[in-house]
Amino acid sequence: MTSPSGGTRRRRAVAVPLTALVIAAALGTVAALGGFAEAPKESPRRLGPGGVVDQKLFLTRFLASRTVFQPGRYGGAGKRFLEIEIEVTNKGRRTEEVGSPGEKGLLYGKSLLRVTPALGEDSAPVSAILDEGVPSRQLHPGTTSTVVFRYELPRGLRPPEEVRLDVGTFDPSPESFTGADLGLVLETDGKAAGAPPKVAAQVVLPVERKGTGR
Amino acid sequence: MTAEAPGTPAGPGTAAPPLPPRRPGGLRRAGALLAGIALAAAAVAVQSAAPGPGERGAPLTWTGTVGEEVAASRFTARVRAVYGARTVETADAAGTAGTATTSGIFVVVEAGATAHREPQRFGPPVLLAGDGRRYTATDKVDPSLTITHPYVQPGWWTEGVAVFDVPVSALTGSRIVLAPENGGFIGEAYPPEVEIDLGLDDAGTQRLIAAAKDVHRLEAGR
Repeated sequence: MTSPSGGTRRRRAVAVPLTALVIAAALGTVAALGGFAEAPKESPRRLGPGGVVDQKLFLTRFLASRTVFQPGRYGGAGKRFLEIEIEVTNKGRRTEEVGSPGEKGLLYGKSLLRVTPALGEDSAPVSAILDEGVPSRQLHPGTTSTVVFRYELPRGLRPPEEVRLDVGTFDPSPESFTGADLGLVLETDGKAAGAPPKVAAQVVLPVERKGTGR
Repeated sequence: MTAEAPGTPAGPGTAAPPLPPRRPGGLRRAGALLAGIALAAAAVAVQSAAPGPGERGAPLTWTGTVGEEVAASRFTARVRAVYGARTVETADAAGTAGTATTSGIFVVVEAGATAHREPQRFGPPVLLAGDGRRYTATDKVDPSLTITHPYVQPGWWTEGVAVFDVPVSALTGSRIVLAPENGGFIGEAYPPEVEIDLGLDDAGTQRLIAAAKDVHRLEAGR
């Protein structure tokens, strides 16, 4: 081999470390500014009773929250419940089930991401469509149903003044790697794996008191 | 001619020996190119025939009409009658009665089935509306009163009903889909299903609505 001119060799020796330095500095700056995670978008909307949230696959109207007293059978002590009543229209293409709300929620209910104060930690709520003679748990496409989530209140505890619901939205066409049916998938905050579900709205419902069974 | 001479080993100095190997070589190369293009085109063609993401593992469907015996791979099913109802009165095995109402209409499908080799049990039937929406059989009726309850055995016909709760707009062009229950979360790929057209054209839908009973009674053991 013939030796190349000294000038090019010196230039190469400078260019490589310089590029590395620039890349390292750029990556460092990006990392220091919070990485490539998406910046949080607009804060969730705040809604009261009667508020409507478009959950993409469902349209939900938050009606009311109330306490209900159920006298015990055979003269027992009876139980108090807290009910959350919503009206759900299924905009999807197939029948879905009501499921249960909260962080460990299922099916439709899991789109009510969080219920504050935490209710039903000891006992899961009973979720049903109650106004059609026989309780149902199905949300048929194109139909509107009144869904009631009913939590049993612990004895001797004052019911909360209001309940707050963090409401998420469903991904209308979730990406499936295998083509398998994923069922209902919540939209997340950002694209990163394990990102928390996106909160589209916060609904605050004052708790109406009926039939005080204290 | 003379330029090629250095390439050839010392031998007969004619032009014939170098030419014959070259001409088949060119032809072979062209042939190989053509074959390659043909194979690539075939691969693309085969790829376009591959099932899409939604079709992979999707059920294999046998279709038919009301009254027809539709034989799928593991069972044969038929629909005998379809009628509408405004309310459904149910009584389960314990005798607890309830009257289910709806904002739409109840569709009661009388169906029967027989298995080919092994006993089968149906999963919840689906009413496939004309616009492609899928309505699962209603849960307002106890499953023990419907065709999802009994085992369908080989050798004789098991009869039962499927009850759907649908908006009136879903009736026209609807079909019932019957399939064996598919083991939970990780289902079988390409399970068999039978899709029977309920024969509800516009006139049929009008007839069904007009003839809908106010109360349809469902009893255990039917």
